Parts: sequence; structure tokens; C-alpha cells
Amino acid sequence: MKKKVLALLMVCMMIVSVGLAGCSSKTETAAPAETASPADETVKVGWMGSLTGDQAVWGQCELNTVKMLFEEINGKGGVLGKKLEVIGYDTKGDPQEAVNVAKRLTTQDKVCAILGPNASGNAIPIAPVLEEAKVPDIATVATNPKVTVLDGKVKPYNFRVCFIDPYQGAVAAGYAADILKAKSAAVLYDVGDDYSQGLTEFFEEFFVKKGGTIVAREGFKTGDVDFRPQLSKIKAANPEVIFMPYFFKEVALSANQARELGIDAILMGGDGWPSEQLISMAKDAVEGSFFVNHLDYEDPEVQDFKTRYKAKYGKDVELNGYLVHDAVLMFVDGMTRAGEANGEKIAQALETTDIKGITGRIKISKETHNPEGKDAAILKIVDGKYVFQQKFAAE
Amino acid sequence: MTQFFQQLINGISIGSVYALMAVGYSLVYSIMNFSNFAHGGVIMFGAYFGFFFLTLLRFPFPLAFLSAAICSAILALIIERVAYKPLRERKAPFLYFIISAMGASIFLENLVIAIPAIGPTFRTYPEIFNKQPIKIGELAMGKLDIAMFLISAICLIVLIYIIDHTKIGKAIQATSYNIKASALMGVNTDFILVTIFLMGGFLAGIAGVLFGMKYTVYPQIGIITNKSFIAAVFGGLGSLPGAVIGSVLLGIIETFTAGYFSSQYRDLIAFVLLITVLVVRPMGLMGKVTEDKA
Repeated sequence: MKKKVLALLMVCMMIVSVGLAGCSSKTETAAPAETASPADETVKVGWMGSLTGDQAVWGQCELNTVKMLFEEINGKGGVLGKKLEVIGYDTKGDPQEAVNVAKRLTTQDKVCAILGPNASGNAIPIAPVLEEAKVPDIATVATNPKVTVLDGKVKPYNFRVCFIDPYQGAVAAGYAADILKAKSAAVLYDVGDDYSQGLTEFFEEFFVKKGGTIVAREGFKTGDVDFRPQLSKIKAANPEVIFMPYFFKEVALSANQARELGIDAILMGGDGWPSEQLISMAKDAVEGSFFVNHLDYEDPEVQDFKTRYKAKYGKDVELNGYLVHDAVLMFVDGMTRAGEANGEKIAQALETTDIKGITGRIKISKETHNPEGKDAAILKIVDGKYVFQQKFAAE
Repeated sequence: MTQFFQQLINGISIGSVYALMAVGYSLVYSIMNFSNFAHGGVIMFGAYFGFFFLTLLRFPFPLAFLSAAICSAILALIIERVAYKPLRERKAPFLYFIISAMGASIFLENLVIAIPAIGPTFRTYPEIFNKQPIKIGELAMGKLDIAMFLISAICLIVLIYIIDHTKIGKAIQATSYNIKASALMGVNTDFILVTIFLMGGFLAGIAGVLFGMKYTVYPQIGIITNKSFIAAVFGGLGSLPGAVIGSVLLGIIETFTAGYFSSQYRDLIAFVLLITVLVVRPMGLMGKVTEDKA
């Protein structure tokens, strides 16, 4: 009997210890497992984004990039003599989850800054959490104006490295009207998404200003996979250009369905387009389409990073990788000028950022916390490749 | 007028996918009187099976299609054995079956996300039919849509033939009428259940592959499978022709709402109509009137 009790006890202990060991590896950290170094030597930096869901491809690329850059920085002695450690959590692309993640990063992990998220819908709701904890956030591809400015007031702890939707929508409209000489356009957009709505609004405004007409405006809901009812309606309106301001999966599906319905209008979109997946899903359907992007992939400035990433992960960098690269540069510059890993001081330093990133010059405006005067690149899809057309700035 | 017919074609094509999914729910309901929510998970697995047979093992399309259907049938049977049989043997209340089914469904979805080789991102089927539409006058029909419609129609006709004209079909009908009495009359009801789950799983596999070809494969396919379940209720749970008619009607209503009003109102109008039908005819369009099958 005693033996049995003892055996049971031991089994229990084993189970508990296995459980504990399992728990401790919950977060993904980039710091090497050298527990010997004292805790105050490392600076914790948060990252958030989608590691599951439709945008997981981008999120994974962002986290990979941050890990790679931190390793490189640590290899050169770190920042202010301290090593950087990234703590990355999955937002699942869900706004509510983003708030939870932001709370966890600021209160539990006590990070001094957060990189990401990439989606506007997730970057907007985290502002109150940041303000309470006094931790700055640098969003990567969150292009909605409300990410940094709400009701004309700048949010003190939100920053970004990308240009904003009005600019992107205006660039697309300007290019369609001035260069493609289109007179009529239709818009298909995601009614449940801030990003999609923002682009739609400004595309319409600028296209009409340039003398064009919006002949159809159709919406769909996040998660929809069939767009034929809306596209059939658009087909009846016979536009020269169809603007598709949403993400590559829906772009691929809707572009395929448009071609299946016999629509041969030029398709246009924003920075939600570029992805390897888009080409593999809809190579023929998106052939000859145009989209607005943050950079030209063949730009000599980005080549070095592109090859380093490919060598390390064996995959091509997605768009988000380039922007999170510049977010890391911005953070390192901010922390160096702040002189210590203190959220409030870094936020102050970030307000006067003026650095040269690989996606262009990043000069943060104090009033908006956006980089000012960043050029947009117009890319065309030719033979399944993104071909740079020109840099285009909207007036 | 062209618009009208084009939207009608769109609606039937969407409805035929719902139909193939919906009959699986109806089949199980007709015998076991509970909604087998794990069916959605089997459909998703079917889509992944087809994808991996085509891309990893490089099966020719018809073989990949058949293999995916067979694997899904086996998966459906495993779920029955693991999640439902123990409950059945203990004569658990039906609510427990539904909870067990939901559990199985959530398990399958998260299993796919957790397996690194599959993962949470969506996958794209290789192109089997090109995107050039077949045109009749102004109307355009995708080749894939026509194939999907035909495959769905053939499967449903074969299924209804089996149920109505074969010995096993008669046994299924008898079991669905009264499972205890059929057992007393010498019907091997356990064997009937196995058959039902195999048939349901087979159809789920086909539906999954068709869905994947058209709309890509992803773990959160549940939004669509839930709609097909609603279509099955709409048509009358337990009735196969009802499931088909309910699905096609739901597809058409959705398309017309999106095409003529606004896509924002699509689900709103479609489901208000659906609730109205159920208020007037609680057993659905073609359901049987029974007290205990509510």
C-alpha cells in the first residue's frame, strides 16, 4: 500500500514538473537561452500581430524580421550596452485580442515599447492601454489616419512608419485619372474593415475631384468568399477601373470571380495586395493590374535586407518585413536618443525622429506622428511579377 | 434581364455547394435526431485531404477527389465511434450529443491550426479549370462552377436513389422512422449508423474539395458550413430533398439580396425570411411533422 502511494506521489510530481516546463516556453523570445546574464541587461520590446488567420503570412514575417534584426544588433553589442529581447504575441487579427495583448505586454511583461500591429483595425483600439502604461507603439502597415490622430488630437504614444490611407487612396485615384486616363470607376470594399473604408472614401473623393465618375460602389463583409452578386452588379455599370482596397486573399478570389464573369476592367488596389499568395492564386486574373505600395522591391536600398532575410529563413520577405525593419530602426534611434529604456522618454524622442529607413526617409511630424512626404510606389503586375512603374505623389 | 439571369446562375451555383454540405447534416439528423456539428470539421478536413493529395502526392484530379472523399468518410466514422458511440451506449440525452458534436468541431478546427504542416494560413488549390468563362449571349458561367453544379447534382441524385430504391436505403428509412422498432424487426441499427456516417463523410469530402477549389482552404470554414446547416433546417431537417431545396433557395435569396438591394443586408434579409418560414412551418419546407424531433 505504502509503495503504491509513493508511486502515485512520484507520478503526480512528474506530471506537475512536465506541466511547468511546458508553461515556461509559452512566449516566443529571440534572446538566446543564456540565463546567466543579469535581467537588467536586457531590454524587453513587445511585438504584436497576426500569427494565425488570413494575415498570418505577414505577421510571421514581421516577427521573423524583428528576431533577425535583434540578433544582429545584440551581436554588435546591443543598444546603450543592453541586449534587446522581443516578446511576440498573436492578435489573431482580432481587435479585442489586440487590446488583451497590449495589456499583457505593458503590465505583465513590462516592455518599454511595442512594434506592430500591422492592421489599422488592431492598432486603433490599443491607444488607451498605451496611454495608461506610457509605452510607445510603432505600427508597421497600419495606414488608417485614426491610428495616430483622433478627433484632431494626436495620440501621444502611437507612431507609425508608413503613409496613411487618404494618401494611398488619393494616389490610386490620381494615377487612375491622370496616367490611366480612366473616366469611370467602381469600388468593391469590405464594409467591416477600417482600412478598406478609409481607402474607399479617399479614392472616391479624389477620383471625383479629378473629373471622374464612381459608377458603382459595392460592399462585402469580412469572411465572405463569394463576390459574384456584387461583381455582376458592377459589370452592369461597366467601369473602366475597379478599385479593390482590401487584402490579397479576397483580392485573389474577387479578381478570379470578376474574370469568370467576363469583366475585363483594369483592377487597382492598395498595399493590401502584394503577397506571394496573390500571384499563386490569381496569376491570370490580376495580370495588368496596378497597386499602390510602400516601396519598390527592386530598389537598391532594400536588396541587402532582402538577401539577409532569405539566407536566414529561406523565404522571400513580405511587404511587412520591410516596414517592421524601419520600425526597429526607429525604435533603436529613439531609445539611443532617450538615453534609457523608459517608455515615456522613448516616446518623447520618437516625436523628433528623422532617419533614413530602407522604405524612404522617416521624418515624424509632431502634430500627426506620421512620417511626412513619403513617396508611394505604383507597381504593375506583369507576368506574375511586380514591376515598378513610377513614384507617385498625390497633390 | 441579363442581370437577373446572371444573378440566378450565381445563386444556384452558391446554393449547390450549400446543398452538398447540408445533406450531411440531414442524413445524421434523420437517424439520430441531433445536429452533427462535427460535419463542418469533416468538410474542412476533406478540403485539406484533397489539397495534400493533389499537391504533395501529385495524384491526378479524379483520384485525389475520390481519395479525399474516402478519407473524410473514415474520419466521420472515427468521430462517431469516439464522440457519439459511448454516449449512445449510455443512452445520454440528446443535448449531450450536440455538445459532443460541437466539441469535436472545435477540436478539428484547432487541430488543423496546431499541426505545423497544415497551420493557420489558407492554402490554394492548383488550377484545374481555367478561368475563361463559358458564354451564352451576355451570360457568363465559370467552368469550375458548372463542374461543381454537375458533381453536386450527381452525388445528390445517387444518394436519393440509394435511399429510395435499395435495401440498405429502406433500412435507413425504417431506422429514421423508429430506431427501436427497426432494431426489433431485425435491422442492424449499428450497421445503419456506420453507413450513415460513411455516406455523410464521403459527401463532406466531396463538398470540401469543391469548396477548396473555388474558395481556397482555411480552418475557419465554419461560417459557410453553419450556413449550410441553416439551409438544412430551412428545408426541413431530416429530409434530403428538403436540404437540397433549402440550400438552393438560400443561395438564390442571398444573391438577389446582394445584387438588388445591398450586400450589407444580405444575411439580414435572408435570415429574416428564414425565420418567417420557420414560424409558419416549424418543421421546415419539407420536414416531417413529428413531436419529438423538434
